[in-house]
Amino acid sequence: MVELAVSVGALRLANPVLAASGTFGYGLDLIDLCPPERLGAVVSKGLSPLPRVGNPVPRIVETAAGMINAIGLQNIGVEAFCQEVAPELARRGATVIVNVFGERPEAYREVIERCEQVDSIAGYELNVSCPNVDHGGMEFGHDPAQLVALTALCRAATRRPLWVKLSPNAPHLVATAQAAVDGGADALTLINTLRALAIDPYRRRPVLASGCGGLSGPAIKPIALRMVWEVHRALPAVPLVGIGGIESGRDAVEFLLAGASAVQVGTAIFRQPSAPLRILEEMEAFCESQGVQEVRSLIGGLEWR
Amino acid sequence: MAKPTWVPHNGARMIARRDLTARLTERHDLSPTCFSLLLACPEPVHAEPGQFGMLTCGSGMDPLLRRPFSIAGVHSAGGEATVELLVKEVGRGTGWLRRAPLGATLDLLVPLGRGFDLEAAATGRPALVAGGIGLPPVLFAAQRLAERGACFDLFLGAVTAAELLVVDRCRAATDAAGGELILTTDDGSHGEAGFVTEALRRRHARGRRYQRVLACGPDPMLQAVAGWASEAGAVAELSLEEPMACGVGVCLGCVVELADGRRVASCKEGPVFEASRLAAHWRP
Repeated sequence: MVELAVSVGALRLANPVLAASGTFGYGLDLIDLCPPERLGAVVSKGLSPLPRVGNPVPRIVETAAGMINAIGLQNIGVEAFCQEVAPELARRGATVIVNVFGERPEAYREVIERCEQVDSIAGYELNVSCPNVDHGGMEFGHDPAQLVALTALCRAATRRPLWVKLSPNAPHLVATAQAAVDGGADALTLINTLRALAIDPYRRRPVLASGCGGLSGPAIKPIALRMVWEVHRALPAVPLVGIGGIESGRDAVEFLLAGASAVQVGTAIFRQPSAPLRILEEMEAFCESQGVQEVRSLIGGLEWR
Repeated sequence: MAKPTWVPHNGARMIARRDLTARLTERHDLSPTCFSLLLACPEPVHAEPGQFGMLTCGSGMDPLLRRPFSIAGVHSAGGEATVELLVKEVGRGTGWLRRAPLGATLDLLVPLGRGFDLEAAATGRPALVAGGIGLPPVLFAAQRLAERGACFDLFLGAVTAAELLVVDRCRAATDAAGGELILTTDDGSHGEAGFVTEALRRRHARGRRYQRVLACGPDPMLQAVAGWASEAGAVAELSLEEPMACGVGVCLGCVVELADGRRVASCKEGPVFEASRLAAHWRP
């Protein structure tokens, strides 16, 4: 038997495989194919204070070993989540991380304050790849000063675990990681999607209605691994949650070795809704075959040269 | 209380969708661009006309995503099922399907989405309208309606004679139902010349007062059907096709805009929508 439990900071998880925000609905959409209570945690679709309709179509396009999306943060709003979804997730025993975004810092705080009234929510993950309308549309996650302030504002609203999901598009990865920690983040999720473009040469137009979007899938895995490793090396005491193109148990193990305490599975769920469960099984089999008794012993185990 | 709508249920209030390992048992060329696939599934499949499946279209990470295909027919017997798909080769995924060896195993997530309202269709004499590779859900509906003894007329259109698919089966289903099969080609090479929707309008003008139309085909055809239905006071059920990553309502890539401004996942609330629910550009 392999011990699968891990801790991300103070948050103990039954296993290290999580469903990523925006790929698992609100946690109940795939109960027949991938019961949320069997995962380490589920990260909700990004929630804003009010519902949002999102972008026009086309919103997605497949690319080589990946896909680009520009969904536009469509969501049902925090109130509907708290009233209609969270109780059932709690009844099922799922560990729930609420992904939070806003166009103003106060919007993030509003979402967290509403969720604080729901006992069963385990923690928060801030999506900081959102343009700040108070700041000329610059993404929170691209500016360390903004990121410190935003994280501190959210930190003041909760004592629950607070994760910040870093953008790989920020000019200085370690500086933004440090900023999130300085603001009070308990852990960092990395990476979000890479800004990308697909072109229709016949129409001479971008494929997506919004122009650019975010690249995900196996194509980005080596970049994500490198970023997890760089942040882990620079900030070894900070718990990391690795995400980016994870398709197999072996991929997940690689992220743990690079320094992640847990992983999130995203685009793989689109290929196979039960992918997180398969990845967990494969991870367990890897550990058994390699004589690894505790998954947590893999964390940061990369031997550099 | 959680809304019971988070996971789609079938008419029996059961979650019918399953992620199956299917085996490719037969493939037949139907036209220069289209072919049929028979997929043997290890358990019964409870699918309704208009529902679809997500099918693996490659053996590795590229192409990455499954492709959605409307179901053309299902035969369940002896604890197993055969699912039939009609496919048009349009890119890498469908090209792979055209060349995959017989006996290959493919992941098939099925059945998904909401199909046509056959209960309502069976109460009158509906028009079934298919354009090109929009035929599969219409063929499935025709077969199911014929099985229950309901009458319908089937309009099948294509750009040219060689692209009219499985005409014999369409004729057999229509004959069994006591209805009329109307074939059209854009180039006039077979049947009535012009668009299939023009043939629908002609029948209507001659007094065939359809109360309901079930349609699948290219967007301009569906818009023309919706436009006609709006004028004629008929209910139009349109099977839409949107780019789709997951098929199960979580990627939100396939949203369709409704008249009330909402954008809903067509894989879950559709792919069949009543035209009157859709945003105005669907009803010109």
